[in-house]
Amino acid sequence: MSSVRLDGITKRYGHTLAVEDISLNIAEREFVTLLGPSGCGKTTLLRIIAGLIEPTAGRIYFDQQDVTYLSPRARNIGFVFQQPALFPHLSVADNVGFGLSVKGVRKDVIAKRVEDMLALVGLSGYGKRMPAQLSGGQQQRVALARVLATDPRVLLFDEPLSALDRNLRETLKYSILDLQRKTGKTAIYVTHDQTEAFAISDRIVVMNAGRIEQIGTQMDIYLHPATPFVAEFIGANNSLSGVVTSVQEGEVTVDADGLRIHCRPHSAFREGDAVLGYIRPENIALLNDKDDHDVHHIGYINVFDGVLDRVIFEGATAQVRVNVNGRELRVDVSGAQRLTLSRRGGRVRIGFNDVTLIPKPA
Amino acid sequence: MNRLLSTRRLTDIASHAYIWLLLLLFVMPFAALVNYSLTGPRGEFALQNFAYVFGSFTENLGWSFRISLLTLLINLAISLPAAYGLVRYNYPGKHLLFAFLSLPLYVPAAVLGIALVLTFNFTYRLTTSEWGLVLAMVVGSFPLMLTPTVVALKDLPIVFEEAAQCLGASKWQTYWRVVFPLIGPGIGAGMLLCFIIVFNEYLVTLFVKPTFITTAPVRVFNLVRTAGLLPTTAALAVVMQVISFLAVLLFFRIYGTRYLKGTYLL
Amino acid sequence: MLLLVLPAIAIVVLFLYYPLLFIVQMSLTEGSSYLSPAGPIYTLQNYAEMVSRYLPNVLVTIELAALAAIVDLIFGFPFAYILVRKVRYRNLVRSFMVFPMFGALYIAFGMRFLLLPGGWVYNLLKSFGIQNPQLYGLPSVVFAMALFAFPFMVLNIGTALSNIDPTLEEAAACLGAHPLQTLQRVLLPLSRAGIVAGLMLVFGWSVGAFAEPLLLGSINEQRSLAWTLYQRGVVQTDYGLSTTMGIVLLILAFAVTYVALRQSKGVLGE
Repeated sequence: MSSVRLDGITKRYGHTLAVEDISLNIAEREFVTLLGPSGCGKTTLLRIIAGLIEPTAGRIYFDQQDVTYLSPRARNIGFVFQQPALFPHLSVADNVGFGLSVKGVRKDVIAKRVEDMLALVGLSGYGKRMPAQLSGGQQQRVALARVLATDPRVLLFDEPLSALDRNLRETLKYSILDLQRKTGKTAIYVTHDQTEAFAISDRIVVMNAGRIEQIGTQMDIYLHPATPFVAEFIGANNSLSGVVTSVQEGEVTVDADGLRIHCRPHSAFREGDAVLGYIRPENIALLNDKDDHDVHHIGYINVFDGVLDRVIFEGATAQVRVNVNGRELRVDVSGAQRLTLSRRGGRVRIGFNDVTLIPKPA
Repeated sequence: MNRLLSTRRLTDIASHAYIWLLLLLFVMPFAALVNYSLTGPRGEFALQNFAYVFGSFTENLGWSFRISLLTLLINLAISLPAAYGLVRYNYPGKHLLFAFLSLPLYVPAAVLGIALVLTFNFTYRLTTSEWGLVLAMVVGSFPLMLTPTVVALKDLPIVFEEAAQCLGASKWQTYWRVVFPLIGPGIGAGMLLCFIIVFNEYLVTLFVKPTFITTAPVRVFNLVRTAGLLPTTAALAVVMQVISFLAVLLFFRIYGTRYLKGTYLL
Repeated sequence: MLLLVLPAIAIVVLFLYYPLLFIVQMSLTEGSSYLSPAGPIYTLQNYAEMVSRYLPNVLVTIELAALAAIVDLIFGFPFAYILVRKVRYRNLVRSFMVFPMFGALYIAFGMRFLLLPGGWVYNLLKSFGIQNPQLYGLPSVVFAMALFAFPFMVLNIGTALSNIDPTLEEAAACLGAHPLQTLQRVLLPLSRAGIVAGLMLVFGWSVGAFAEPLLLGSINEQRSLAWTLYQRGVVQTDYGLSTTMGIVLLILAFAVTYVALRQSKGVLGE
């Protein structure tokens, strides 16, 4: 159980920067997820923390100890790979006991520890089997038991669930969270799957092109994306680009592609600022024609009339495309309303409050 | 710990140094031959030894090319159908049959030599014919042609043949116009291996060759045995190896190295 | 379909299996009595002589081949490992590695120049203060044989190693294993088949070594079977004895080849 501090970590391969000047503090017992598209440098960063790759510049500290140039085996970490990476020639018990065995721990101590660890991951009695005799999910559990057996300072996960099928992913991600809570280990988890990240993290680090875009809780990232990348990467989003036309008592009015949009942004804007506006499809309501025209009565500060372009029924939700003055907006409809959607071509009214404004990058 | 001197870097440097050191050892005997072949009678640099190669040794080189070429042709003629018969049909004992055909590769050349010279003498009456030598080369080298062809054919999905047949091609048209071109690299690899081995073969040849034939490697062997270390002999050995190496480079250039998989070259 | 394989079968039957049977028969005849008008005299004399007189020849043959195989393993394992895991210029390495393929004759010949007084190796040793080194002998023979067979060893071990997921090594390192522990507990057990196949193949190819003992060896190494067989058979026409040596050589080569082929997966696959 250590805190982890990254200080200006950079990794360069020839002329390409895989990871660029990343600084990050992770508290003891914290569960932090590195989230980003493939190739964003998250796995490289994780492998640098593990010591599998040496950084080109920067320092890594576990607690106060500088581990930047220590080999992985001197760092006492637990690394769970994408593949279970169990030693195929060793039994489950020998796999779990491997870390202790190479440190020269006594055999009876190892046997006891192996039993405990297998019990912890719910695989008691599987010790004598060979890895090939286990299912993919069981193998990944053994891999978890194997890293926990050495009582590592930090747990590192490199997309450990991506090779498994969906149902297994669901259950195993909560197993991982449970184990982390039970053992109180600091955990760093790499994934490209945002639902996974949202489900298990204390904090999420969104990465793109080797840099950190935003660090925050699920809510921070979902409600207040700091950059256009985060706004577009997390969930689906309608994006508009426009100019601030007026600022009054914290309410900002934006003229975006011919739509006048009112919003209450987090940060300050001035008239004439070029901005990007994001409206989440699930935060837009499809209103009945019969509803009163008085916007305050309905509770939406933005109300528009449009034409229903397309309805895509997806089961739990329905995706609706609404054409407002030639701008297509996506609206996600859930609940009973999705079952009674009118045919396309009909006139509809939409309303929404939450708009995220981000200054347009130069 | 300093970044420039980290263990990882040192290990990397040592690793590559190790590879290069061994590669240096590989070419050392060749380099020594080159060095000596370029030395004149008073230790000066000279090209005259190579003039000797293309003078006095022309006949030997000619025999080597001739024997290699004939062997290659026969190898092709027996390996291609055999590979097809081994891959595209299923019958019991197929693996055993393949092992049975590959066995010549594992017979020490001296044993093959003594066995062949005796049967040529007492049974086949082939001792005075160039065909005896060629057949000896064939039996020792055709598995080298067979193996890469088998590998290439096995990697070739059968759909191409099925498509050709559905489009109305006869068995022979399919074979000639679809299968052959597609397994070309495999066949090429086999031919390359066979050429290198047969072109440089001296031991079986020493046993079975008729008296009127002296191939270049046998000439090298005889000269080393009887005349000691002559720079002209070194020059001949260098020429042989350069020709072989050019064949390898030519192959790499056309096909790359991956088709040599499953053969005796990496 | 068997018709397609028939020419190949005919070739090996006529020019390999029949001749091998023929020398088995020959090895049971006395001297060159097969030629005599009175007909061959059948005897086990040759095999008895192999044990009584030529046992040292057999032993030195085994010794040389075994040493070559071990040297190849020691140098070949790290070579194959680095090649598989670290080297990007593999094609270049492959090009270099074809040189031994051209034949043991050139290797042995080239090495003679190196070992000659005034040769590179001779001068190198002299610069280390070693005067009049005895360069022709066992080490030189083994070196030449090992060099010749090195690519086979690297090929076998390299294939085995490239089938090992590199993640396993990373996992071992993360679990605290020293590189030597990773070698001993992960790499060696998982590449065992390739190592055994490599050892056997190198041994099998090396028992028939001819030029190396002859050109680089002392009297001791020149007793190796392939060269003795040639002298007895072709020079002295003692067909009985030389074919017997051939049979012994064949048994040595085949016994290990059999093991090697069982270890490595066949070309035809499953």
